[in-house]
Amino acid sequence: MKRLLENIRIAFQALFLNKLRSFLTMLGIIIGVGAVVAMLSIGAGAQQSVIQSVQGIGSNLIIITPGNSGEENNLGARFMLAGQQVKLKADDLQAIERGATLITKAAPVVFNSSIILYSNSSTQSSIYASSEKGLELYNMDIEKGKFYSKSDVSNASNVAVIGQTVINKLFGKIDPIGKIIKIDGKNFKVIGTLETRGTDTFGNDQDDFVSIPVTTAQNKLYGLDSYNMILAQSTSEEVIGEASEEIESILRRHRGIRFGESEDFSVRNQTQILDVISTITNIFTVVIAGIASISLLVGGIGIMNIMLVSVTERTREIGIRKAIGAKNRDILIQFLVESIVLSITGGILGILFAILISVLLSNYTVLDTSITTLPIIIALSFSTVVGLFFGIYPAMRAARLNPIDALRYE
Amino acid sequence: MTEINQDTVIKTTDITKIYRIGNIKVSALRGINLEITRGEFVAIMGPSGSGKSTLMNIIGCLDTPTSGQYFLNNIDISKLNDNELAGIRNKEVGFVFQTFNLLSRTNIYGNVELPMIYSKDRVANKKRRILDAIESVGLSDWIKHRPSELSGGEKQRVAIARALVNGPSIILADEPTGNLDSRTGEEIMLIFQKLNNEGKTIILVTHELDIAKHTHKIIYLRDGIIHGQEEVKKQLSAEEILREMPRLEDRLVENI
Repeated sequence: MKRLLENIRIAFQALFLNKLRSFLTMLGIIIGVGAVVAMLSIGAGAQQSVIQSVQGIGSNLIIITPGNSGEENNLGARFMLAGQQVKLKADDLQAIERGATLITKAAPVVFNSSIILYSNSSTQSSIYASSEKGLELYNMDIEKGKFYSKSDVSNASNVAVIGQTVINKLFGKIDPIGKIIKIDGKNFKVIGTLETRGTDTFGNDQDDFVSIPVTTAQNKLYGLDSYNMILAQSTSEEVIGEASEEIESILRRHRGIRFGESEDFSVRNQTQILDVISTITNIFTVVIAGIASISLLVGGIGIMNIMLVSVTERTREIGIRKAIGAKNRDILIQFLVESIVLSITGGILGILFAILISVLLSNYTVLDTSITTLPIIIALSFSTVVGLFFGIYPAMRAARLNPIDALRYE
Repeated sequence: MTEINQDTVIKTTDITKIYRIGNIKVSALRGINLEITRGEFVAIMGPSGSGKSTLMNIIGCLDTPTSGQYFLNNIDISKLNDNELAGIRNKEVGFVFQTFNLLSRTNIYGNVELPMIYSKDRVANKKRRILDAIESVGLSDWIKHRPSELSGGEKQRVAIARALVNGPSIILADEPTGNLDSRTGEEIMLIFQKLNNEGKTIILVTHELDIAKHTHKIIYLRDGIIHGQEEVKKQLSAEEILREMPRLEDRLVENI
């Protein structure tokens, strides 16, 4: 232990003697470790915020859409589906509401984009049309006023609930409740405003929309007899898979799809979506970190290079130490410790560098970063291994020097 | 088995050393029989190419003979491997080189400590022993200084302190005065003579007869064999020579 400390002291002494050279050698490791840790933290941050925004839509959601995503890659099937005009209609929703036991509620969704007018201001915003259950399913909160009711939906009332961005664009400081706005030329009464939801991971404004009863959207605005999708909420997170399967079988039966035929709709749940997102971000992270780790390798070669130079320069010192009684192992350990000290110091500086980068990124860009201990531990052990691996050959060369020749070396 | 006297520190029997340079064999040593007893002060002399460096390397356990046996302090050195030799060097041999061979980045204390770092034995009062060794060569005020801040003679004194610190059986000095002016060289010889008076066994390799005459016995080496050896009848005393030798600065003052 004493001797190891002595070796570490000698190593630092040697590194400080050639400050610039040591720093340049470490730079490879600093950049390598820095890049790997920064990339992993960006990846982890991205994953966290994507997951948060998916969960932010609502919890335990099951999404039913027309057409089968599994066959979208099959050109023939796509033409067939296009010709058939597959639709999800009110009777599908009713079938789900009647038959499904593992869901708490289900709501239709029609989305579109329309011009919205109030006095002299106008804006193009998204229209999310749903039933009275849409408020909870979408995880929205009413700020002022109220959401449209069941009777508003069945009567196809011209009422609207508006998001904060729309309020800012059209009303400014005026209280919008009770005001009349025009959506695609039709009059709507504003009955409620929504709490702000901010931007999602991709920088989209989640407050730039107007919500109206689905029947109003279908009959009075867009002339539709179908929904873009149906949202359902399972009774708990555990049964979300079973609930999805239940809905699938209800719809198969309701739509008369025979055994062996594939569905003309698809049922996805949040867990699946989150899995897909995790897989994608994980692949992304691993690929980027892999590329970054190449610079770690290059840094390692730099260490080996400089250690070989160091061994040559210090041939005489090695000769003196050996003449005085240093065994081959003592010399080996001395130089190995030196290269490991070099790479670990580089690794620590690299981690500090990465922390700096990720703090800067999360403060000054839309990217979210998340520094976790795992990449730091991995990076540190990786740089130790790099130092060990690339230091062993120079150290062995040093250890094998013949003391007589080494003493004579000029 | 050769009968070994208790007082014998070094005993060699028919040591040869053959170097191969390509296909050519060069016999550097051709049968050396040598016996040095405890407390002796011996000079090995010989022209360059006589094999004295090779002999010194073998005596110093830096190298092993091609044939023959070498006992150092009753240990058969001839058949040891590199690591065992390193252990013997550390424990039994104190080297003093012509070019001092100090670690330039390490201070005086660290240089003298060096043999102890590689020592297997747990030594009590390590620090005391290092300071004692430094004091015995009169450099106590310099322990924090680096070798580059010292004169040649002082460097050589550090090297002697380093050679002493592990209490070796022999001190092996290879041309220790070769890089020094005559007065400083004489001062180094004074230290060696004092150490010898305290009972240390010293082997001095030199090609200067004046230096060799400070010892008890001169062994002449030529063409890889011992050409002859003689007791020094009138041993030179470094102390006396120094007394008569005017100091350099004194002479300068006189000339002004």
